[in-house]
This record gives sequence, structure tokens and C-alpha cells, in this order.
Amino acid sequence: MGRQVCIASAGFSEHASKRSDVSMPELVSEAIKDCLKNAPSIEINDIDMFVNGNMPAFEGANIPELWMTDWMGARNKPLMRVTTGGTTGGSVAIAGYYSVASGLPGVDTVLAIAFEQQSQGDTATGLASVAYGEISVLNSLGIPYDQLTLLFSAGAAIGVASYQATNYMRKSKTTEEDLARVVVQNRHNAAKTWWAHLKMPNLTIEEVLDTPYISYPLRYGMVCPASDGACAMLFTTEEKAKDMCDIPVYVNGVGSIATETGILGYCGSGSGQLDPSEQLGAQKTSDVAFQQAGISFPRKEIDYAEVYSPFPNQELMWVEKLGLFEENTASEMYETGVTALNGELPINCSGGVNSTNAIGASAMERPAVAALQIMGKASNQVPETVHTSLGHGWGGYINLITMMVMADEPARKFK
Amino acid sequence: MEKVAIVGYNQVKLYSDANYGRYEMIFEAVRGALDNAGLKKKDITTVVSATNDYYDGRTISNSLTVEPGGGYLADESKVEMDGAHAVLYGLMRVLSGNHKLAVVWGGSMASSYPAHTVHLYETDPTWERPITYVSDITSAGFQMRAYMEKYGISAEEIAKTAVKNRKNAVNNPLALAEAQNPNITLKDVLESDIYSDPVTELMVAQPCDGVAALLLAPEKQAKKITDNPVWITGVGLSQETYYLGDRDLSTSKSMELAGKMAFQAAGINDPNTQIDVAELYEAFAHEELIFIESLGIAEKGKGADLNAEIGGDFPVNPSGGALGGNPLCATGLIRIIEAVKQIRGEAKGYQVKNVNKAIASGQIGMCSQNNILYVLEGDN
Repeated sequence: MGRQVCIASAGFSEHASKRSDVSMPELVSEAIKDCLKNAPSIEINDIDMFVNGNMPAFEGANIPELWMTDWMGARNKPLMRVTTGGTTGGSVAIAGYYSVASGLPGVDTVLAIAFEQQSQGDTATGLASVAYGEISVLNSLGIPYDQLTLLFSAGAAIGVASYQATNYMRKSKTTEEDLARVVVQNRHNAAKTWWAHLKMPNLTIEEVLDTPYISYPLRYGMVCPASDGACAMLFTTEEKAKDMCDIPVYVNGVGSIATETGILGYCGSGSGQLDPSEQLGAQKTSDVAFQQAGISFPRKEIDYAEVYSPFPNQELMWVEKLGLFEENTASEMYETGVTALNGELPINCSGGVNSTNAIGASAMERPAVAALQIMGKASNQVPETVHTSLGHGWGGYINLITMMVMADEPARKFK
Repeated sequence: MEKVAIVGYNQVKLYSDANYGRYEMIFEAVRGALDNAGLKKKDITTVVSATNDYYDGRTISNSLTVEPGGGYLADESKVEMDGAHAVLYGLMRVLSGNHKLAVVWGGSMASSYPAHTVHLYETDPTWERPITYVSDITSAGFQMRAYMEKYGISAEEIAKTAVKNRKNAVNNPLALAEAQNPNITLKDVLESDIYSDPVTELMVAQPCDGVAALLLAPEKQAKKITDNPVWITGVGLSQETYYLGDRDLSTSKSMELAGKMAFQAAGINDPNTQIDVAELYEAFAHEELIFIESLGIAEKGKGADLNAEIGGDFPVNPSGGALGGNPLCATGLIRIIEAVKQIRGEAKGYQVKNVNKAIASGQIGMCSQNNILYVLEGDN
């Protein structure tokens, strides 16, 4: 069962805090056009199936592709919508992979699209309902409403991120300067990525540390922006991919292992205390994806990684939890330049989520950039040849993860 | 397409206002499906759910359902469409060879949200939503009117379908109590409140509370798990354009294309004789007629002439269909489960005789903009 799946192309729209020059459908079609531009042998009519998703709460539009059908080119075609919160983009990309891998009759070439136009709504309001969802649980546990303050801080992403950050910093002895260094690397990289949002080629660590706290230890200058943007990826069979592009990127491993729902250490429907920096789901997901991809020593075998880090502490945390570095060593790797563009294991050379965050699209932009790095077509291309790469996503109530491991050669054999 | 089987299923009883929680309902559905197949939580490798952030009233609706839905430490994802679409994703995950047991569940609780108001958020936000002229209900009015005018069909002929389905629902213990009426007449249907002329209240599939789940496994494992595997031999889906003015509402282009794709995969060229029973997600009574015509089971405009009773020429919705209860995000999934029951001979009280091949469908959008159709087969 199953068959080889390749990424033939990936594309982006331009990202900014307000893309008021375009409507949401126009924003999406920008990314689709950019994606198809890189695969000139095919047209939108050659797409057999569409997979898409965003976080519908942010624009106040439920299942928006119903009225966006024609702008996507999906009229009278199979279409599936996948949404999983922050991991939406990654989940859509994985659904694109499965659509091809399943070998459904008539479905060979699949366009996966993820988007978000946050300027249409209010992101914090959209995220507040993440906290509201717990109220019923609180009531059933007899926890009074005066703890609502806690809920609201959990609802917004910064609340949980600061708990993650303090937990991680305590264990790894990471300093605020280390966090700022990650930000500086990202924003410098973003300056060399055409579609990125926060481009700051001359940013310094001091400048980052000079901005006010939003929630300790995260400062204004360390936090991701809220962006408008879209991303598209083209998945197809091995044979067809060879006709569409020079270097087909093989999807060798995918995973999205969920863990228990955790908010602020207590867990309404789970087992109890959670350390939000522990991330069992990420560890399990990377185990599964690396195993599928036949990778035993990720530190040695992965050439490039894009991890999902709206906040700098998360970047340090993920590269460790995904097995790219030893526990508690990540900040040292950033200090010694291992993770830089010309380093041994470059991380987030697109600037990452820290520089560009159109939430629904963010988790797809990770595998999209990781794939383009293998093709040699990334905007901020790593000078050394990339053979294997990974793209990662994070979301939910800190309990959802996506991951895609790619290479220029297939890892698995199919009958 | 390689063979994948449905090896277990479960659906909770539908209520217009269930007096118990979302999580209990999800747990009951998923645990029941596992029990139905004699499996355990640790056997699950992937879970695909169907919920909707707007219907559940919160962002990331799948995030809090990880544990009750069996997704803890399993490969988890969510399809924000009908449950029948989630089955497609579960099917693809099994077909890829990565997974040996997929749990697919879907559902919502209409008692906790104003269902028809929520549908307004699915309309074009610039031109249509502000004036709220076009909604799921008014579009159904346009659709029924277009169908009647084109083929000269009367409202009585369409009301017949509502009577049939609501009578069928009487024998289905899991159907919505409000939809079960053994004495319902054409007059009752035609004289119930007008929703959007000519659609009346009893022609509408009432949104309600409910969750359903099923299990998918590849051929080798399926044969070990159950003696009664039901094979998915064909699946097709399609999405038409959005604007009602661009569409011929007297027919369903998306169902036609979905049918073509599914029938081709399953090697079916004459559905009327090769298929034994159909379970279709009709959000409104007239959609059942439009669907059987679009699938080529009846000629265009002749859907009402087809004897679709349980003992008829071509039984449609013996369970009562969506008119027997419409828990959004579960309705299409329940249609698949009902088709499985018919094939396995487990539809007690509304069993159609000698069923080996069945079709089941799911849909989302105004005037069923996106349809998905399955061809299911038993071993006989």
C-alpha cells in the first residue's frame, strides 16, 4: 500500500501586517500563482485535488473556501479542508501528502494551500475562545471564576509561551541575551527572504533587550508579528514530479502525534501537571517521522531545519526536542554560529515564524521552505547543498505537532 | 484502489438537547466503535475528527477532544467539513500504508449554538452576509423552487420524501425523537411553518446533538478484526462554484461528479441495478430527489416517481436519512454507518433485503456545494 510522494513546488504571497491591497481570495491566489510559476509545465487545470485550511476564527469567516472556490481554481474538483489551529498549515501539507500517497483513482497532483489574513479580524479575540473552552471544565472541577485571569493569560499565545520560556530557561540556564540572539538571527535572515514580514538587517541584541516586556521573559522585540499571508505546496507522484521540476523533493516521513490538552500546568481532561516546555508530542512525532524516513542520527543526517517558533525560547526548545541538538545545548549552537546560514545545521533561514506569522499558513511555510532549500530555490538559500531537511509545526492547546521530513532521495520502497 | 474496510462503528442517540457533555458523547461514540470491533485504545494509530470551530464555539475545536476521541499519542488531525469527508482522510491515511487502524469520528451539539445563524458565517462576507438574504435556508428555497419549475414538480411530490424519511426514522432507535412520527401525512408536511417558500419546517433536516465514529483498517488486518468487513470500493467528491446565480440549482453538479468518480473506481455503470440501497445526506427533502437524479438512479425530473420505500424498487434512506436527525459534522458519517448496517444485516427494524452494495453521501455548503459519495460492498 502507498506510493512515493514528491513536492514539486512551493510558493508564497508577500506577507505584511495589513495586506489591505488584496482580499483574502486574492491573497490566496498570489501564493498559488507563485507556486505554479516554479512548475511551468503544469497549469491550475492540471491539479486533481485541493487541500486547504486556515484558522477561521481570525477572519470571522467559517469554511471560507466555499466562496473562495473559484479563486483557488477548485471549481468542480475534489476539495478537502483541514484545520488544526496553529498546526493548520502543517496539517494541510500532511493531508496533501496523504492525498497523493493513498493512490486514489484520478488523484495524482494535489495543491495544498494554507492562508491567514489576520488584519480582517482580531487575533487575540480569536484566541480568547481557546480559554473560554476550558470554563466548562473548570466548573465541573469546582474552580471558581476568579481564576479567569489565569484563563485569559492562557488563551493568548504569549501566556503559555512565557511559562514555556521560564521553565525552559530554568532547566537550560538560558539567558535573555540568548533569546535575543535567536531573534537577531531570524530577523537578519528575514531581510534576505522576499516574502518575509519583519525584515531587520541591522538589528542588534542590545536593541532587542532594550524593548519592554510583554510577559517576562518575552520582550516586545522578541515576539512574532501578526501577518497576512498565504502559502501553497504542490504534491505529486514520483514520475510526474520528475517532469515538473529538476530536483523532486521526496516526502519521507510525516507525523502529527497529539498529547493531552494542557493549560497552565493543570489539565482539564488530562492526567495532571504538565511542564509546557517538555512537549512529549514533539518527541514522539519526531521519533515517528525520522523512523519513516530512515534517519537514526538527526543531528548528523539533517542538513536543514525549519521549526515553528513564534517566540525565541521555543526555537531553542524545539531544536532540542526534535533531536537536532543535545538537551540544553541549543543556545550555545546559536552563539557559535552552527545554526547560521553558512553553519553546520542552518535553522530557520527564512526568518521563521518569529519574523513572519500568518498563523494558518505558518506551519506550512516551514516544510515549504525546507523543500525549496533542497531544490536550491529558497529565497535565502543555504550555500551548502541540502540533501535532507525537516519542517515542523506547533499548536493546539500546546498539544498538537506536525512534522515533515524530506530528502532529495526516497527513503522507503513501495511495491 | 486497494481494499480498506470499515471494521467497527457506533453512533450515539440523537437529541435536540442532549443532557450530557460533549466529551462524554465523543467518548461514548469512539469507545463504542472500538468495542464493536473488539479493539482497545492502544490499537489506534491515527484519529481523524470532524468538528467545526464555529459550531463548537471555540478556536481549534479538535484540541480539547484529543483524549475522549482516542487521539492521545496517536497521529491526529481534523477535517473541518462533514464527517463523511473525515472518512476520506482516514481512508487516505490507511491507503498510504502508514496506519493500520484509523478512528474517524465527527459531531456537534446544535443545542449549544444557533445552527442556522452560524451558517451565515459561511456566506460571502462582503456582499451576502451583511444583508443576510442568502443563507442555508433561503438558498434551499431557491433550490427547491428551481427544481419544481424546471420539471413541473409539485410541493406534494417533494413532501412525500419528507413523509417517507420521517416514517422510516420511527424504526430507527437512534433517530431524533422529534423527527419520528408514524402518523405523519402529506398535509402535516405542507402545512408546517414556512421556512423559506416553498420549503416548510418538516422538509428541513433539523440540526441536533450527536456524535458518530467508525474504524477503518486495511484488508489484511480487517479480515482478522471482523467476520463482517464492509469494503470501501469507491469514493468521489467535488466542490462546485459558490454563487447561486452561477449554478443550475435544479440539479447537483457536485453530486454528479462525485458519483462519476466513485462509480468509476467501484466499476459501477448502472447504479440503479447494481446498488441495493442508498443513504444520502439530504439537508432538505428535495435534495434527496435531486441527488438520485444527479447520480443517474432516476431520470432527470423523475426522482419523485421512484419507489424509494424500504420495500421499494430502490430504497433511499431507510434509516430516515438526515431528516431523521442532523447533527452537523456527523450526519454524513452516520449515513455511511447506516449503509454499513444494511450491508451487515444489522439494521434492525428497517433492514432492506439482500443488500450487498450500498452508497452513502455527505455534504457541506449552501445547496450542497460540496458532495462526497462512497460505494460500500459486503463480502457476499
